[in-house]
Amino acid sequence: MFELHNCAPQFVQQLINGVALGGLYALIALGYTMVYGIIELINFAHGDVYTLGSFISLSILGLIPLASISNPTVLALIAVAVIILAALLCGIVGVLIERLAYRRLRNAPRLAPLITAIGVSLILENIMQIWKGNSEVSFPQFLPDNWHQIGSVRFDDRSLLVVVVSVVCMILLNLFVFRTKLGKAMRATAQDRDAAQLMGINVNSTIAWTFFIGSALAGVAGFISGMYYGTTFFLNGYQAGLKAFTAAVLGGIGNITGAMLGGFVIGIVETMTSGCISDQWSEVAVFAILILTLVFRPSGLLGQQLPEKV
Amino acid sequence: MDRRVTWLPFGLSRYSGKQVVGGGLIVIVLALLPYLDSNSSHISAVADAGYILLLAFGLNIIVGYTGLLALGFAAFFAIGAYTYAFVASPQFGLHWSFWIMLVVSAAVAAAFGVILGAPTLRLRGDYLAIVTLGFGEIVPQLFQNLDKWTGGPDGIAAVDQPTLFGYNFGFNPTPYYYLYFVVICICLLLLTNLRYSRLGRTWMAIREDELAAEHMGINTTTAKLLAFSMGAAFAGIAGVIYAAKLSTISPSGFDFNMSIMILAAIVLGGMGNLSGVLLGGGIIAMLNFLILPQASNWAHALGTKLNVAFLMSVDLTQYRFMLYGIILVLVMLFRPEGLLPSATVRAELHDAGKTPEAA
Amino acid sequence: MLGITGARRLSIAALLALTLGATGCSNSSGGSGANSSSGAAQGNIIKIGADLPISGADASDGVPTKHGVELAVIDANKRNLVPGFTLQADILDDAVNGVHDPNQGAKNIQAFASDAAVLGIVGPFNSNVAKAEIPLTNSLGIALISPSNTNPDLTKGASALELRRSNPQSITYFRVCATDDIQGPVGADYAYKDRGLRKAYLIDDNETYGRGVSDAWGAQFTADGGTVLAHDHITKGQQDFHALLTRAQGMNPDVLFYGGTTSTGGGLVRKQMGDSGMASTAYFGADGIRNAEFLRVAGATADNVYGTVAAVNATTIPEAKTFLADYQAQFNQPVGSYSAAGYTSAMVIIQAIAKAVKENGGKMPSRDDVLTNLRSVKRFDSIMGPFAFDANGDTTNKIISIYGAKKDVWVFLTQRKFGAK
Repeated sequence: MFELHNCAPQFVQQLINGVALGGLYALIALGYTMVYGIIELINFAHGDVYTLGSFISLSILGLIPLASISNPTVLALIAVAVIILAALLCGIVGVLIERLAYRRLRNAPRLAPLITAIGVSLILENIMQIWKGNSEVSFPQFLPDNWHQIGSVRFDDRSLLVVVVSVVCMILLNLFVFRTKLGKAMRATAQDRDAAQLMGINVNSTIAWTFFIGSALAGVAGFISGMYYGTTFFLNGYQAGLKAFTAAVLGGIGNITGAMLGGFVIGIVETMTSGCISDQWSEVAVFAILILTLVFRPSGLLGQQLPEKV
Repeated sequence: MDRRVTWLPFGLSRYSGKQVVGGGLIVIVLALLPYLDSNSSHISAVADAGYILLLAFGLNIIVGYTGLLALGFAAFFAIGAYTYAFVASPQFGLHWSFWIMLVVSAAVAAAFGVILGAPTLRLRGDYLAIVTLGFGEIVPQLFQNLDKWTGGPDGIAAVDQPTLFGYNFGFNPTPYYYLYFVVICICLLLLTNLRYSRLGRTWMAIREDELAAEHMGINTTTAKLLAFSMGAAFAGIAGVIYAAKLSTISPSGFDFNMSIMILAAIVLGGMGNLSGVLLGGGIIAMLNFLILPQASNWAHALGTKLNVAFLMSVDLTQYRFMLYGIILVLVMLFRPEGLLPSATVRAELHDAGKTPEAA
Repeated sequence: MLGITGARRLSIAALLALTLGATGCSNSSGGSGANSSSGAAQGNIIKIGADLPISGADASDGVPTKHGVELAVIDANKRNLVPGFTLQADILDDAVNGVHDPNQGAKNIQAFASDAAVLGIVGPFNSNVAKAEIPLTNSLGIALISPSNTNPDLTKGASALELRRSNPQSITYFRVCATDDIQGPVGADYAYKDRGLRKAYLIDDNETYGRGVSDAWGAQFTADGGTVLAHDHITKGQQDFHALLTRAQGMNPDVLFYGGTTSTGGGLVRKQMGDSGMASTAYFGADGIRNAEFLRVAGATADNVYGTVAAVNATTIPEAKTFLADYQAQFNQPVGSYSAAGYTSAMVIIQAIAKAVKENGGKMPSRDDVLTNLRSVKRFDSIMGPFAFDANGDTTNKIISIYGAKKDVWVFLTQRKFGAK
């Protein structure tokens, strides 16, 4: 059960695996952390929006005669178009979820929206099960895959894609939140919803935008996970969502930089547990981090200590 | 209001004559059920409702009475079931008494309730929910990975069936039905009294306003730990009977879905109210064990008539979590107090301006 | 709700629950009948239960096997093998979220047992499900015949005795396929001798079947002179095998053996081997991966892949000719690894039922009568060839077929036949 392996020779190689996985978690974690930051809701359905992103991308790709296209530039453009479309559609789904399921409960006791979110998650999972069945769905791998070698370390375009796309998204998000007016409105609403309203901020639309952006990032993650793994499954979002949520908690929930950091840490921890101990224990390691963080440092790595709201 | 029947024992004197007679009639009908319906698969389904109800009772103490959202409740169910299976199966060659283990497993689950509760109970509502969720993920993983002792993903097979005065329950659902029936009746008496006891009132004070309760001199930590351990004990008992009736257990039976099913039951029925929990648990169990399998058959018949391939082969039980999801969302949006709420929860969940209805 | 409190509400609740129960009670329960349109009176129906994984990733194994059972029932009715009775296939799914599940299997057996018309059960497909079911069928005294369980411990040795602890001397579990104590070694020999592979990395899904077959494979591979570099376990439901495969790649194996099913990760492991620089490493599995689902999931990586099946390849023997034609006509789908085995399992039960009905003067026999007849099968001329059951309930017709994957099809390579012991 417990066997320690000598993983030192492949440390860098495993680090690459971990960073790629962490990039995915970070993208999903951003959605959790933004929504929690603004309405203090653990949006349980967020992980399923991520899977929905891969299903949507898959369906869009199904409409394109990929086999007849060989020009790599065209293929790359198709990829970019599909990412944007998947992000848009997932964003809309996120806004709809907020509008239909969460908005009514904004002032209800804290547990009511959380329970609703669990319900929404189950509904999304089952819609996807009806849509694509309950076995692995293949994801077309239409981008040419080249291998790169630096010293003894090898990686392919797909790992690169995950890391590049997730880092680009994070930079864009940071610019958006800290440099635009809407971003400012979001930060204001997160700090004090009532005061923000008094200052003339449209709280409802700000919250809707938060859901849109968070869900759009999950949609992007859905597409790149499909490219990275070549398969997708209707229940993937449950585990991935929990791990991404762990990442958000570890980084300090509500903190955007923290979510990114947390995502990479969780990805690396999971990979290293698999690489040095055993695959079986990687999930236990992640959930142990979740529990330990919440018990001993609920504010996370980068979050500030908040007094308990009464 | 009717006069209360003051001479009744076990706290039943709290109820009016009509209520006691009505309740009594239902108990009698349920007690005779195996004679009214000879189809043993129905009896088996109604018996299986027993563990749903026991779990719902346990979760209701934690979520309904004390207001602590626990999302990994199935972990305690797993602990109860595995505790029994370890000592009553070929796994270690032990074959201990079911009846003793009924109590021991309850105690073990309660102990784990305390072990989990102690470091986590100072967390705020949704943080606590997530910690218990993490616990609920880790426990089945441990049972899955510690395969030298737990049988790994296959779990433990050939778990012993109970024997009472030389009569082996075997795989006949009727004795299990009566066992659940008796255990649930005892639990109901216990819970009705607990609800109005000092401890019960303490729990509700915590649910209403933890800070205020603390300032009133209530030891909230002890009360919360007691809620966790007592809730877990119910799950432990449910686990033992479940393992014995099915004769096999594996980690997949105790996953998040199980926790959600129980949560859906108490949310639907009405958190914090025993009759609501009974109703919610009953509905979820019947949906799960009788109605959805039936509905699949109807869909097949309809599909054959209409020649629709999807309907001909659809297995509606696969989609039961769709139903639970819809239940959770609709109840929370339109009737957050559940079908049969307790007066306090009802008042609390509606606009604060309205005066609570008199009970 | 004024004035309705405590016990009153309690009684309303209980009443509602009861009504719900009662509405459910008005109909018979059970799974989908293959011939449910039959208008015969209840008393003239005999059901053959079938417990198989027929949804999700396991469906590509379970459904063709199910078709085999259904075809046997159709044939038997057509040929009036059990005079005076109409046979029905009663099929229950033991997959939960698309993967075979021991708990669900045990529930299904209890459901079959509570239906007096079920005289025998075909199934299960997976060995860990069988492990959960054998104690039940042994205690209940109902015949269970598996088309495809290959773990040897289900019938042999001390662990088998523990499974049938209620009635140790009474065999209620039979199977028509060979077991992993020969399936594993055949695969290992093929890898070492025919493919010239020397260094193996073993991964299994930690289930009864996966662990057993990879142990047997590894032992034989070592005995042949090969090296087993490491033996790892994975858990079903996992998605990312990059870390594990990177570690495997570091040891530079010639072959990766996966003990388990496609549904527990066999296809994903093959698919992700390429991501970790193991695209050219051979991939071996057993019957758990020799299915259409594996080809679908692995896609272009389903090459240099070998799997075994613990039964004869029906397309190579004359006995199965009619079966194959009928199967094609009835379902218009290719047969699976264990379609013929599903047909055979059902036919063995039907034949035992026919004999029991005859002995019982044309009346409905007991499950025990059926079992007695099953145990006394001396020679059964099946579409898989003639066989009998040995003292443990295993078939005497032990054949392992070896297949190789060519992108979207499994190509039959060769078979090994073992004499009766």
